Amino acid sequence: MAATLGRDRYARQSLGSLHARVKESRVLMVGAGGIGCELLKNLVLTGFGEIHVVDLDTIDLSNLNRQFLFRHEHIKKSKALVAAESATKFNPNVQIHPHHANIRDPQFSLNWFKSFAIVFNALDNLDARRYVNRMCLAADVPLIESGTTGFNGQCQTECYDCTVKETPKTFPVCTIRSTPSQPIHCIVWAKSYLFTEIFGTSEDDAPELDHSEDADNAEEIAKLREESQALKRLRKSMGSEDFPRLVFKKVFKEDIERLRSMEDMWKARGPPEALDLDTITQQSLGTGPAIAQQDQVAWTLAENYAVFSDSMRRLGNRLEEARANADLGNAQPILTFDKDDEDTLDFVAAAANLRSTIFGIESRSKFDIKQMAGNIIPAIATTNAMTAGLCVLQAFKVLRGDLQKARMVFLTKSTERIISSETLRLPQPDCAVCGVAQASIQVDTSKATLNDLVEGALREQLGYGEEFSVSSDAGVLYDPELEDNLGKTFKDLGVAEGQFLVIVDDALENPRVNLVLAILAKELSDDAKAIILPEKIEIPLRPPTDLPTTINGANGEAVVGVAGKRKREADEADLEEEQTKKRGKVVEEPAAGLDDLVLVDDSATNGAILIDD
Amino acid sequence: MSLCQNRLQEERKQWRRDHPFGFYARPMRNPQGVLDLKRWECGVPGKDKTLWEGGLFKLEVTFPDEYPTKPPKCKFVPPLFHPNVYPSGTVCLSILNEDEGWKPAITIKEILLGIQSLLDEPNPESPAQADAYNLFKKDRASYDRKIKHIVKENPAS
Repeated sequence: MAATLGRDRYARQSLGSLHARVKESRVLMVGAGGIGCELLKNLVLTGFGEIHVVDLDTIDLSNLNRQFLFRHEHIKKSKALVAAESATKFNPNVQIHPHHANIRDPQFSLNWFKSFAIVFNALDNLDARRYVNRMCLAADVPLIESGTTGFNGQCQTECYDCTVKETPKTFPVCTIRSTPSQPIHCIVWAKSYLFTEIFGTSEDDAPELDHSEDADNAEEIAKLREESQALKRLRKSMGSEDFPRLVFKKVFKEDIERLRSMEDMWKARGPPEALDLDTITQQSLGTGPAIAQQDQVAWTLAENYAVFSDSMRRLGNRLEEARANADLGNAQPILTFDKDDEDTLDFVAAAANLRSTIFGIESRSKFDIKQMAGNIIPAIATTNAMTAGLCVLQAFKVLRGDLQKARMVFLTKSTERIISSETLRLPQPDCAVCGVAQASIQVDTSKATLNDLVEGALREQLGYGEEFSVSSDAGVLYDPELEDNLGKTFKDLGVAEGQFLVIVDDALENPRVNLVLAILAKELSDDAKAIILPEKIEIPLRPPTDLPTTINGANGEAVVGVAGKRKREADEADLEEEQTKKRGKVVEEPAAGLDDLVLVDDSATNGAILIDD
Repeated sequence: MSLCQNRLQEERKQWRRDHPFGFYARPMRNPQGVLDLKRWECGVPGKDKTLWEGGLFKLEVTFPDEYPTKPPKCKFVPPLFHPNVYPSGTVCLSILNEDEGWKPAITIKEILLGIQSLLDEPNPESPAQADAYNLFKKDRASYDRKIKHIVKENPAS
């Protein structure tokens, strides 16, 4: 008992009255990796009463340097389960419920999300972040989002989808296939094109080509196919002594000569120089495959060739073996590139360097190529720990209902200040995720048809006009040119419990914001309607989009949001306070209204449509 | 709904309200009859008063998750004999290239009109298949005959 008192003492001293609320809180943490381990430790030591942890991943050797809740004996075990087991020992007063599962599983329903005071994201991918963001908006639960790359970290409480995210760099097909100019272009070629064509699923394998209509020019089509499938035919000789030589001749000689014959392409850039197999074979005599272990130096042409042939032999043998063991009738086994698989990495490194030589691009060491081909972003334990700490500090503000003090917090190494913060911005009116109206509807999915929704609920009850569309996650179910799904039931269309439908109003005049309907599947009695709307749905009009984003302040003066950085002005601050007050209320009563996350343009409330059933 | 889905819905609406004569563009259906907005089948007619007049060429347009930040991939099905079309059928065109002319504001209509112009105005600076390119450069009469033959094989009506 004394130990328990001691454990709480400092937390109680520093948190005051908030401490009691922390102890009663039920929170969810999604992701138990780099940030997750640190965050779980913080939550446990702060004394959050009930913590649910969801992670579908298992522990890998490469996690152990920073994910300190895991030890060597835990490799291959569930991250969620082991994290819970390790962290429980820090504070026996806390209940941790681990779930080794995907957060998208139906067991984690909207109602389940609603049962938490706060949700913490400690994820490593955009997709899952977006999913949790959307669920939290629909469930009306505050979300604290975090992420790190290298020395940079951030913690945010805004809607994740209000800002456009930078997308990972990809390269156009022309640069990769015909006109590379940097080492990365050749690496992408080796990894995504050559490797998959030889050891994976060729992109031309796809059975989508329909040749039934072009019997007469079949000859031409056949020729084109032949060119793109020459490599595939070479696969037949896999396992033979000659295989590496045949592939080499095709991709580093014949293809290059063909490319070079298109003279106009080389007016402004140096033409590629095909490699001569015999010369290189001579040069590489005496170079053993052991050179592949020297991963810090750029190999010579002959050394690259030695690694190329040797890795092809190794990969060819692996694939042959897999095929011999495969069941007949099943899909053919394939190999996939993995930066930690030496054979595949050797192949990609050597092939990339050979191609670089052809185009006069500098060669890279295997170590460098591993970083580039594997998109490796260094993860730093200290950044994760700091970011996790910031998340808990933001959580205190949310629990206090003190949202005007909540901030976006950034960690950077390069500026004078390591930690900097920004006030939260208002929801972006055109955000596809939070700039919408939300509601839950009860549906008897095997009885209710799409027509019950379109005609009965949307047109008759909610007053929608002729032009609107209904979409599920799979795609468009209904729009003015797509009426043949109307007779199908929700079940036929694959719309089930926990999914969302989006209604986009296409009216020419005064369209409303998108309406997001969460589906609660329920068997309804025969005399009841097959779809039951909530008592009240408020769907504001869409703000005009052809003007700069204008938000009317509480006092009626317009504040114009400038794209990018927005200036904070007095009345915007007022509005922000207004907004945060609204949100504050929600924190006290988690199950309150559905509309508070929609930024309602003050002038638009006149036009908002209120439905009382 | 994601930015990508939002934009594709808008594209479908705009196309429904107005599109150039002779073209078609429609999302494909899944087995349940639901439209998949990320995969469209489109038809591009040859321009009047060109070699390509009277032909209609089928394309599959695939939108990545990062659309409209990134451009869609346009692929002739079956592959087309043309200097700027890869043997796989993929179109090599500056406005479809993220590092060159692609801008998120470019609409499906503009893409298809761009591809229509490309048919009769190949860009010898960025050849994508050797056969069509070499014939175009070295033996224009045979190239023209070949195109006329292809148009006959892919009639508009």
